[in-house]
Amino acid sequence: MLISKKWLSQYMDISDLTMEEIADKITSAGLEVEGIEYGSTATNLVIGEVVECEDHPDSDHLHVCKINDGEGMRQIICGAPNVRCGLKVIVALPGAKLPGGEIKNGVIRGVESNGMLCSLQELGVDPKSLTDYQKAGIEELDDDAVVGNKDVLGYLGLDDIILDIGLTPNRNDCLAAFAMALEAGAVLKKEVTLPNYEGCAEIGTPTKLKVSSLTEKCPLYLGKIIREVTIKESPKWMKQLLMASNIKSINNVVDISNLVMLETGQPLHFFDLGKLAKEEIVVRDDLNCEYTALDEITYKIESGDIMITVDDKPTAIGGIMGGDDSKIDETTKGILIEAATFNAVSVRNSSRKFNLNTDASIRNQKNIEPNAPYAAMDRAVQLLIEYADAKGIEETASNAEKKITLTEIDVNLDRINILLGTKFSELQVLEVLNGLHLQPSKKGNDIHVIIPTYRQDLSIEADIAEEIIRILGFDDLPSTMPVMPATVGALTPRQSLRRNLRSLLTRQGYYEAQTYTLVSEERLNDAIMPFTNHVELASPMSEDRKIIRTSILPSLLDSVAYNAARSMKDIPLFEISNVYSTEKVEERLSIVLSGSLQKCRWQKFEIKADFYTIKGLIESILESQGFKEERISFVENSEDCDHFHPYQSVSVYLGKERLGLAGKIHPLMAKKYGVSDDTVMCELNLEVLLNNKASKVKFEPISKFPQISRDLALVVKEEVKVADIIKAIKKLDRVIIQDIEVFDIYTGEHVASGSKSIALSIVFQSKEHTLKDDEINVLHEKILHVLREEFSAELRG
Amino acid sequence: MDKLDVLREEGLKKIQEVKDSKILQELRVQYLGKKGPIQEVMKMMKDLSQEERPKFGQQVNEIKALLAKAIDEKKVELEAKEIDSKLENEKIDITLNGYKPNLGNIHPLNLIVQEMEDLFIGLGYSIEEGPEVELDLYNFERANIPKDHPARDMQDTFYIDVERLLRTHTTAIQMRVLEKEAPKLPIKVICPGKVYRRDDDDATHSHQFTQIEGLVVGENIRLSDLKGTLEFVAKKMFGEKRTIRFRPSYFQFTEPSVEVDVSCHMCGGKGCPTCKGTGWIEILGAGMVHPNVLEMAGYDSKKCSGFAFGIGAERVAMLKYGVDDIRHFYTNDIRFIKTFNRFE
Repeated sequence: MLISKKWLSQYMDISDLTMEEIADKITSAGLEVEGIEYGSTATNLVIGEVVECEDHPDSDHLHVCKINDGEGMRQIICGAPNVRCGLKVIVALPGAKLPGGEIKNGVIRGVESNGMLCSLQELGVDPKSLTDYQKAGIEELDDDAVVGNKDVLGYLGLDDIILDIGLTPNRNDCLAAFAMALEAGAVLKKEVTLPNYEGCAEIGTPTKLKVSSLTEKCPLYLGKIIREVTIKESPKWMKQLLMASNIKSINNVVDISNLVMLETGQPLHFFDLGKLAKEEIVVRDDLNCEYTALDEITYKIESGDIMITVDDKPTAIGGIMGGDDSKIDETTKGILIEAATFNAVSVRNSSRKFNLNTDASIRNQKNIEPNAPYAAMDRAVQLLIEYADAKGIEETASNAEKKITLTEIDVNLDRINILLGTKFSELQVLEVLNGLHLQPSKKGNDIHVIIPTYRQDLSIEADIAEEIIRILGFDDLPSTMPVMPATVGALTPRQSLRRNLRSLLTRQGYYEAQTYTLVSEERLNDAIMPFTNHVELASPMSEDRKIIRTSILPSLLDSVAYNAARSMKDIPLFEISNVYSTEKVEERLSIVLSGSLQKCRWQKFEIKADFYTIKGLIESILESQGFKEERISFVENSEDCDHFHPYQSVSVYLGKERLGLAGKIHPLMAKKYGVSDDTVMCELNLEVLLNNKASKVKFEPISKFPQISRDLALVVKEEVKVADIIKAIKKLDRVIIQDIEVFDIYTGEHVASGSKSIALSIVFQSKEHTLKDDEINVLHEKILHVLREEFSAELRG
Repeated sequence: MDKLDVLREEGLKKIQEVKDSKILQELRVQYLGKKGPIQEVMKMMKDLSQEERPKFGQQVNEIKALLAKAIDEKKVELEAKEIDSKLENEKIDITLNGYKPNLGNIHPLNLIVQEMEDLFIGLGYSIEEGPEVELDLYNFERANIPKDHPARDMQDTFYIDVERLLRTHTTAIQMRVLEKEAPKLPIKVICPGKVYRRDDDDATHSHQFTQIEGLVVGENIRLSDLKGTLEFVAKKMFGEKRTIRFRPSYFQFTEPSVEVDVSCHMCGGKGCPTCKGTGWIEILGAGMVHPNVLEMAGYDSKKCSGFAFGIGAERVAMLKYGVDDIRHFYTNDIRFIKTFNRFE
């Protein structure tokens, strides 16, 4: 919403305030001033007259002009096609500062030039409010312009200051300058006088005009015929007000329709009466046709779009734009005024579909107050009589009875003060309500208010409370804390798990990532442990972001690739996120490691990305959450060998529930994503951890007796699994074997091909007594026996 | 008698001159062993008279003890020297880098979220979460944003179908909490989570971002309580010297609604590029829960009131740490994440 100092000054005396002060006050009352613009900031201008105009000897388009600037003659080179003798022009004198730069004396192609003749655009006027003719050349001033006048901006009306106000959706009423003035008056505590136009449209001779609507989307259509108008240039004040709102001046009649829209917020449409086949308007929304609007673009009209028809012929897109064939031009004699209420949602949908936003459609997309069409009609008739010699005015035709009901509510000062935590007095509050024209009156303990039609946003006590505090200001609002029964704040098990995992992983050296939920179809297809029914957006913004992911890992790999592409070699990342299918939500943890996790190169120390790094990490994670080794199993991965290395990956189980997949990336997958081949990764379903009971932390007495360890080296076939050997040993004794550690695996020289050498260290300890060699020897023999029998192990010395 | 003096002086001298613990050991054997000069001297005893013998024996024993003591002392001295020289040989370049373990860290957005969560847990709030794939009902209807309401324009939503969408604000969680708890009082919750809007990603816009909302409902909850609570948050997040100010605003689910500014933490309110010269930074939206919202959830709006506020984690992180592009939070450049290695 643009409102200028000149606009406001029509309605109230603001001479004691600067625009900055006004902007501050309006902003603190909730209408945020987003910018203060000046009509023009150009300096050092004067009105001059072209006395001589000759072609430049060395150019095909430049002119050498002699200008009378009131003080003497000066020579200026001008390239504008419309420069000519006798023209009154805007002269920027040397030293003038224009938005485009400073003007200096100079020589242009060998001829001296002492200044510049200007267009309005060069003074900083928005080209949107200028005609093509104005944009093509220099500004042509009226003959009455006084040569030598240095207040050029004042003469042009460019000495105005414009506030650009961002309106919250509840305050669309302020799109109307009249409502904005009332609001400003309440905020600035100024008496506001609006033009008196009420009832101006109630005159007129009987009319034959018929208006009707075949759709509910046009509950009110006011039509009025004015048989005679005079088309001419608008008065200067009107042009300047339009310019301050970035609207182009066309002619008096069109300008009046725009001015009334700016004043009342109600878009009007004027049809050229002579161009209508019939004096009958039918509004409908059931057409399927093509329609070329005023902008010469052809729109595909479909059922649902509101259309204004005359004699079965589409004549305007309701609430959005009229047609070229009925527009007002210099030949127009009589007009038909339309002031109608259109369904805001429908206008919004059509406008969006056509990608067509006009001053009218922007307003019609918002619910315009019910009285606005009547007010706009009144004001239009008043201005047309005064500035377009309107005659032959007929009475207004309508498709509905006038029905305006005012909302009246009772509010209570005590309740408002409790809600706000304030101690406002009745006097203060009544003053605010009066200033807002809510006509407050006492009614028992309450205050009765009557809401004007333009304040559609006010309907309950809380609304009035907001009005009071925003006008009185928040400065006096105290700071308190809620007074209420004590509550306990705590994390849920899920929130605790998440925090524990973050803490554990970061302590190991992993960094937490966050990637987007929406992914492409390609990434969906790379999901680990995918869901069958994924969720897809109805109308995605791009192919890359159209599906709600069912797995984190592909996104995380993209992040690894991003880092790898920037020459980073060691990339430890994890992410915890929800994944979705149409039926369920699952919280997951995904971890990726590329390069090494920890290292100190000169010390030859390194924790590298390999299968066992990720496997061990998962074990630690599970143990830290109370899931002991016995409950976890790692099973060969046979289900996903596209993303994982088929022989260096596992399916992880907690009891019988599948927890996740882990292992080395498949080289083709690595290549596709642009990550290194050594990358290891996992994705775990955290719901499994939340659904399973963790073991309790419980103290076990620590044995007082010494522990003894025995080393054992054996050669077995390569396919023998170490875990099976350990399991077999543990089966022999569950009391004194405390730990079995693998300390070497070897293949190569001195070991037959197809075999491997395994070195184990077994720790024995009793809780009851000091172990004797004999006891251990007996058990050791049993172990050797089992190894030979079950694994054909060959024992090495 | 001279012989004894010579023996003692010679022994002490030899011990004194030893530089090696091996030789010292040899001396110990020589002097204190069975075949040393002392034993030789003892042989002279038989030539002495009965009266002289005890005195002589005593003198020899004294010399023996004296030499033994000298050897022990020398031994300690030599050992200390040997350790010193061993240590000297172990001299290293202490300027070489040590093994510096990578300490990972959590994502900056979660840093902000956890900080806020902990702040409010301390005030007795609980943390509530909800689905990102949300029903229109909770995201809009219950938040007092009926179908076709112009406010839905502001939201610009990723719809999945007529009923479901990606939530546009964590207000949806609040609406679920209200429904679940009604008519129980009080409610004190913090609702953090990912939210989605149809925005093209650029330096200041992201189609996915993180919101943290708070909701308190009870008897006689006041707008001033909101101010006090947010002042507390502002001081904790941006420093004890921060003050806040309210400006009127508009949200469907609150009335009155306010925009909350925090005095600029960069310039202290004098005006700088961060606050665009105003001294204030717009940080969050808030207000008193709209009576319609309470009623729709099953509360009697005449008997209770509440406040709600919402803050963007990205915005806080960007302001607090001077991050210039919101996309940094989602590209996961390790160098970026590493910057946020601690709570402040």
